[in-house]
Parts: sequence; structure tokens; C-alpha cells
Amino acid sequence: MDIRPLHPADIPYVQTANITNLPENYFCKYYLYHALSWPQLSYVAVDVSAGGKERIVGYVLAKMEEEPVDGVPHGHITSLSVMRTHRRLGLAEGLMRQSQRAMVETFSASYVSLHVRVSNIAALKLYRDTLQFRVEKVEPKYYADGEDAFSMRQDLGFLKEDGEGEGEGEVGVGADEDHGDEGEEVGEAGKKEKGKGKRKVRVGRGLGVGDLVERNESTKAG
Amino acid sequence: MPQPLSSKESSLFRQVIRNYEGKQYKKGIKVADQILRKNPNHGDTLAMKALIINSQGRPEEAFALAKVALRNDMKSHVCWHVYGLLYRAEKNFEEAIKAYKFALKLEPESQQIQRDLALLQVQMRDYQGYIESRRAMLQARPQIRQNWTALAIAHHLAGNLASAEDVLTKYEETLKNLPQKPDIEHSEALLYKNTIIAEAGETERALEHLQAACKGCLDRLTVMEMKADYFLRLGRDQEAERAYRALIDRNPEYRMYYEGLEKSLGPKDDRASLKYVYDEIAEKNPRGDAARRIPLGFLQGDNFLEAADMYLRRMLNKGVPSTFANVKSLYADTFKRDTIQDLAEGYLTIEAHNPAPQTNGTDEKPANGDTSKFRSSVLYFLAQHYNYHLSRRLDKALEYIDKAIEISSTSVDYHMTRARIWKHYGNLQKASEVMEYARTLDEKDRYINTKAAKYQLRNDENDAALKTMSKFTRNETAGGPLGDLHEMQCMWYITEDGESYLRQLKLGLSLKRFTAIFDIFDVWQEDQFDFHSFSLRKGQIRAYIDMVRWEDRLREHPFYSRAAISAVRAFVLLHDKPHLAHDSLTNGTHGGDKDFGKLDSNERKKALKKAKKEQQRQEKADAVKREEKKISTGGTTADGEPKKADTDPLGLKLAQTAEPLKDTMKFLNPLLEFNSINIEAQNVGFEVFIRKIKEAGPLPPKISEVIIADLTPLLPSEDTSLSKHNDAFLSKHSQSPSHIYSALRTRHLLSPDSSRSQDEKILLDTLDLPNISMQEAREGLDLLKDWNSGSLAEYRAKAAKKYPRATAFVDGKATNGENKA
Repeated sequence: MDIRPLHPADIPYVQTANITNLPENYFCKYYLYHALSWPQLSYVAVDVSAGGKERIVGYVLAKMEEEPVDGVPHGHITSLSVMRTHRRLGLAEGLMRQSQRAMVETFSASYVSLHVRVSNIAALKLYRDTLQFRVEKVEPKYYADGEDAFSMRQDLGFLKEDGEGEGEGEVGVGADEDHGDEGEEVGEAGKKEKGKGKRKVRVGRGLGVGDLVERNESTKAG
Repeated sequence: MPQPLSSKESSLFRQVIRNYEGKQYKKGIKVADQILRKNPNHGDTLAMKALIINSQGRPEEAFALAKVALRNDMKSHVCWHVYGLLYRAEKNFEEAIKAYKFALKLEPESQQIQRDLALLQVQMRDYQGYIESRRAMLQARPQIRQNWTALAIAHHLAGNLASAEDVLTKYEETLKNLPQKPDIEHSEALLYKNTIIAEAGETERALEHLQAACKGCLDRLTVMEMKADYFLRLGRDQEAERAYRALIDRNPEYRMYYEGLEKSLGPKDDRASLKYVYDEIAEKNPRGDAARRIPLGFLQGDNFLEAADMYLRRMLNKGVPSTFANVKSLYADTFKRDTIQDLAEGYLTIEAHNPAPQTNGTDEKPANGDTSKFRSSVLYFLAQHYNYHLSRRLDKALEYIDKAIEISSTSVDYHMTRARIWKHYGNLQKASEVMEYARTLDEKDRYINTKAAKYQLRNDENDAALKTMSKFTRNETAGGPLGDLHEMQCMWYITEDGESYLRQLKLGLSLKRFTAIFDIFDVWQEDQFDFHSFSLRKGQIRAYIDMVRWEDRLREHPFYSRAAISAVRAFVLLHDKPHLAHDSLTNGTHGGDKDFGKLDSNERKKALKKAKKEQQRQEKADAVKREEKKISTGGTTADGEPKKADTDPLGLKLAQTAEPLKDTMKFLNPLLEFNSINIEAQNVGFEVFIRKIKEAGPLPPKISEVIIADLTPLLPSEDTSLSKHNDAFLSKHSQSPSHIYSALRTRHLLSPDSSRSQDEKILLDTLDLPNISMQEAREGLDLLKDWNSGSLAEYRAKAAKKYPRATAFVDGKATNGENKA
């Protein structure tokens, strides 16, 4: 399984992986918005063993918060999932590690945040135990179906580098830490229209990219 | 004529523009009407009103009004601009460009019009026009960096690499002092320039530029990847090796880096020392996979045995469900395939005496002495192994998966594999049931839900499949679960649903789905539009160029070719058997109906007429229902936009086309343009064109010449009759079922009335061919059905004996194979 940056040409298969695995789905333009705003941050896991054909079996769709309420630049995981047939390979962790590192290097992120369904125990375990996220707060009725979300974050200070130059003196990506596997299921983390005031987004038409931009948390509640 | 307004009305006009921009459409119309009361022929106001009406979802009315506006004021750039915007809104980009150009001629200074024109030019890939527009925009505002970058992009896309680089350099020269650590825009501009240099083939200079100018660039990974690539291309192997090792340190799971490393190390005859390179890396990455898996590809003999043994034990101990998926590509080598089979079978016996085997000093601990975990992993692996087409023995596969399920009865993965085994047996009903059972074991997991729906579709349970999907869709959206699946562009579902309807000969619904796929590709193409300006603001130019190039070959995607091939098949069927446009005449769908194929021509005509009448009645009833529904929901979507009701949800209009061969071209043209090496695309293309030629009469002499010149080597010599040629083909390919079917089909085209008993015998014999697949056996069955053959029962019985668990050959059940035209 390769782990490599996401390219626009990957989007149809990433979209398929997303709608195969998770209830929160997006149309093509929303993926393009990520891939063209922060191309360094999104990664895919690719099964290359299938006779020359590439098959996308996992992805992390990530961004920088456009208007951080706290004024601190930070990343956000919009969605992360791995196909059931490819779990326990450490792919979710690998995807996250690459993305986090780019958040720090390219966009000077101080931390990364995400949302996870309170019922998604497996994803919670991955974020909390393997990746050392902590629960910031509970966001009531975050999801379209009324479920609450844990708002989680991880400080990225441990990735900040002091020296210049590439290759040397960089912080290893958890290579020798003894992490557990991500377990059964890796859930999503991410936006979605919520509750009553949800913003209905139409398929690509009539909508500028600006309309796709997720507003910051303070205006979200609307 | 220019039509000046009084100062009060001028300010009202400005308000109309503000209202339009602020989406206050009702207000805008009110104010416009206020102006028009005094100046009923004021072109600009009429144009603005048309623009607002268009935004309210009434394009016809808007166009009519915009034409009135233009007639009143041909010299108004506003009128022309609006005219262009209306064309743009209905995606007639050519006409929009023309209108913008008129507007620009009248108002050469307008940045707004210039910008709108430029965006359309790049969307339409009119690069020469785009260069001109961008040059004009740069001249108007040279102080803005984006204008320089945009001109460079225009040159780059047009293929003028030198000009593109030159523009970027000129801008850099205007910068007085470069920041120590560049911001993202500058950083990306530098890397963009570097890719242009490299694309021009000047690797040496690209490397110099990278090392001198891009040192502080923020996209570290890209700098590292480019550097490694340049070193390698320049033959600077030692530096390349160091660069690739650094990349592997950073991300040990990317094969491209290992390929680079191997190349930098030079040709290695000695596989053992290459293995050593990988071992070292594997040791540094106790949890990594790539460095352990890659050597299985190049190792041979005992070395392979040893490495495969270690690899499999490690993975099976961990219980990694994708172990089989990870190794199956090795099966093309039969030695490796058999070795892996022996190893895995061996684990079942070893494990009975020793608890879980050790894994050679990696961090993997034996699973808490839990030997059943290892055992079930091995059973699961073997079940997949015997289910795989290169090592298939389905009875063994079933035996192993049942044993695995004995150990762990609630494993979703095991039941999923069990369903796949039943699919390969050819029993789609059972497969669907087993997958549905697997779904109930974890109802919160969408992956297994997806699989269950897919298996239901394969078994043509369309309603049940949608119900399954609806457990995860947002069902309150317009159109319910199916509407949500379309809105979320769920390509796999729409395609499988369409293919299922094609099998059932419900061609209207089938074409409805394939058309939806076609339309989504249009949306994807349109999606890029906003990024032509957005990406300039974001400064991520390399990603933007990637996108443009991807969009250029968008319809190469298998999602497109698959749906398009099926759509063309449906249209060809409609051409050959027009009665299929009417569900009620389709064999078997309406239980008691007589088989249409068996009616005489008079009866057929009557039946067709009756069906058409019935359909008209149904359509009327549906229209009334829709109207009622519209009233009850207010006819709008959730966000208040006017909803366009689907006037043909069953695709009846698509199927009842008078010209199926003409309609099919919309699918076929892009298919052949972007998938010319896809043999199935060429096949369906042939089926369409051979019918068109028949209808069009003799070919134009020029085309005829080309065909004769190019195809002569393939055609029989003039003194050989076609049927002799066909017979020769048949005997030459007597061992290949698909060749046999083609030859027999051709024989019946050449002499439709000849006796068929001999051909029936040939078909029966194909079932004894060693390499026949079940899919092919079904095709043979379909052929016999087409002939209304008396040997049908005999064929069924023989096939059922060969495939005892398959349902396709049992009489009374519709074949689940594809219906060939």
C-alpha cells in the first residue's frame, strides 16, 4: 500500500472510498477545493498490488482553518477513512502523520483539530490513543442526524523543526513508537451541515468556491 | 444608441446592480420596473432585469428580454455583457465568448468584461485568446502579481515554456528584496517556475535553480522529491541515493521512492544484496510493510520461500485482513502461487502443535497465546486464496471459510468472503443473502452496507438495494435516497443500478442512470471553472495545472467508459428491437404477457400500438401526480431555489427515441476519443457504425478507399466466400468460446435460414472446453435463446451439471449474465 499526496485525478476514487465508508459525503467540487487550496495536506493510500492498476483504499482530506477564531493557524481534518478490507495495516495513522507534518512545514500550523461522532469508539481510540489527540469539547447535534461530536485536537509542537534543510535532523514520524493498530473502524471527522440551520449545497452548479468555504466555528451554529 | 438617464434614475440603476449582486432579486426587479416606467426602452435596465430573471430560474424569459434590450441598444456593452452572461449560464460558451468580445469592443477598458472573457477562454482551452486577454490584463494592472502568474500559466498551458518562464522571471526582477523565508504564494511561484524548467527538459538548470532559489520553499516534500528525481536523471547516483533514502525515512510506504533508490544503486545482478538493502530499511521501520513486501517480487526459489514464510507469518499473526490482497499479485508466477499455498496449508498443521509461531524478532508479539486468532487468520487467507481466479477451488474455499466462521461466527469479513464465494459459484441469490447477513452483524458500518447493496443490485433486487442504501443517505432531500445518491455523485451505485436494469431489459431506467453518469461528468468538467480565478488568489499553481490537465482527459476515467459502453449497448438493443422501449412488451417482466419475439408481424404491430397507448395514459397520470406533489412541497428545494422537477423519472423518453443510433453518439464519441485502447469500447463502436453504414447506404468513395486499403490484410481474398472465411475462423479458434460465439453469430447473419442443429451441437461442446468461464457459458445460453433453439433444455442440463451451484442455468430464472444484442 502506497501512501502519497492526493492529486486531482484521484478525486473520483477518493469520493467513492468516502461514500463507501462514511455517512458524511461531498461532491467533487468540495474535494477540488481541498486539493487546490492545500495540495500538500491531503493524502491517499493506494493498493498497488493489483496488477499495475491503482486502487485507492484510504484517504485523509485535510485543510487549514480559513478564519481561525483563536487567530492561531491550525489544520483541520475534514475526512479520513480506510476501506474495511485494508484495516489493521496502520494506514490511517500513516496518512495522518504525513498530513500533520505538512501542516507544520508548509502552513506553520500549531495544532490540528477534527470532529468525531461520539458513538464512533474505534475512531475515537485511533485519535486519542494512537495519535494522541485530546477531547476539547462536545459539540451538541453536530451531525445532520442529530448526533453529538467530540471536538478533538492535537498540538503539533512536537513536529516543529529548528534547523533548515531537508532530510537531516527532522523529527521521525513515530517510527519507533509502539502504537496499537487503528482497530476495526476508522471513522470520519469533519464538517457536515448540522441541525436546523444547515446549509444545503447544490451539485456544483451556481456555487462559487467561496460558498464552499466552511465558516469558522463561531458562525457555524446558525 | 446610448440612452442617458436622469441623475435620479442613474442612481436607481446602480441600485439594481447592487440588488443583483446581493441576490435581492425581487427588490431589483421592482427598482428596474420603476426606471422602465419612464424609460420603457432603456436597454441597460432591460438587460439587468433579464439577468435577474435568469437568476430566478426563468432562462427563456430572460433570453427574450435580453434580446429586446439589445434591439433597443446595440451599442451598449452592458447589453452585450448580459447577453454573454446568459449564454454562459446555459453553458453555451462559444456564444458567450462572442458576446463578451462585442461588449469588450464597445468598452475596451472594462476589467470585468475582460476577466469574464479570459475565464471562458481558459475553460474552453482557447489558449491563444487567453494569452491575449491575460496580456491585456497585465498591461492594465502590472502591479498585481496574480496578473503575471496568470500570463505565465497561459503561456505554459499553450506549450510556450520559454515565454512562461520569462514572464515569471520578469516579475521576480521587480521584487526588491526577497524575504528570507518566502510566503506561500512566493514559495509556490518558485516551485512552479522550477517545474516549467524541468518540463522543458533542462534538468541541469532545474537542479541548479532548485538548489539556489527553492531552498526555503515551504513545500518540503516536493523539494525533496524533485531533487531526488533530478539527481537520478543526471546520473548523479550517490546524491540520488542519499535523496531517496531521506524520502524513505520520511515516508517508508511509497514504492516510487524504492524504485528511485534501486535505480540509484545501479543494476544489481545479485538479488541477495538488494534484499539486504530492503532488510536494513525494514529493520528501521518495525511497523512498515513496503520494505518487507517489495522483495517478494524479485526473490526466487528458496529465498522467496523463506521471505514469503516470514512475511505471511508476520501478517497472519497480526490478523491483517488484507494479507491476501497484499500478495495476490505474485500469483502470476505459478511457483510463487503454489509456494504460498503450501506455506499457508502448512500453518494449519504446524499450529496444531505449537502455539503461534514467532516472527523473527520484530515487534509483533504472539497474540497473547491466542492460537485461535492465528488459526482463523490462516483459514481466512486460504478461503480467499481458493476463491481467487488464479487459484480457484470453490469447494475448498467454502470449507475453509466455514471453518473460520466456526471460530468466529460474527466476523463481518468472513461472511463477506463467504458471499463472494457464492457469487463465484454463480448463485447471486445466495450471495446476496449471505452479504445481507454480514451487514446485520455491524449495522453501523457503511462499508458492509455498501457491499450488501451492491450484491442486491447484482441480483437485480433494485428496490431492496435502494432500501439498504437509504440507511446511510439523507432521505429528506428532494428525490429521497436516490436523489441524495445522485447529488452526492455516487457513481458506483448509479452505474450498477443501470447495468441491472439493462440486464432486465428495462431500458428506460437503464438509460436514465447512464445519462445521470454522463451528466455528472459534465458537472465535473464545469467544476473547474471557479478555480481559474480561485487558484490565482490561493497561489497554488502547480496543483491548478494538475487539475487542468486532469480535466482535459476527464472522460478517460473508467467510471465514464463503463457507463458509456452499457449505454451504447442499450441504444443498439433499442435499434434492433424497438419494442424494448416499452416495458410491458419486454419478455417476462409482466408475467402473463406472451413472448413478443414469438408473435407474428400483425400481432406485434397491435401489441406495440397498445403498449404506446398504455404508456401515454401512464405518463398523463404521472404528470398529474407530479403536479400535485409540486403544489404540496411548494416546488422548491430545501434552500429555497426553484426545483426543476424531473419530467421523465423512468427514462421513458430516453428509451422511446426515434433515433437510437443518433442518441448513442453523445456517449460513443467521448468514449472512442478518450478510451481508444479499450477493446470493449471499440466493439460497441463497431456495432453502432455497422448499423449506420447499413442505413446510410454505400460509403463515400474516399472512406471506402481507406477501409479497403487498411483492412485488406484482415479480409478474405476475393475468391474466398464470406462463409468459407468464417468457417476457417471457427476452426482456427475452435478452443476459444468467445471466438466460437462470434463465428456462429456471423454464420447466422450470412445464412439466416440454414439448419442450426450442427451449431447447437458446437455450443453444447463448448461446455467441455477446459478454459470456458461461467460468464461465457451464459453467453452460449443467450445465443440458444436468441435462436429459440430446441436444444435449450439439453444445454441447461449440461451446464447445470458443470456448475451445480449456479442459478443461471436453471429454467424459469432470468439469466443474470448480460443480455447481448
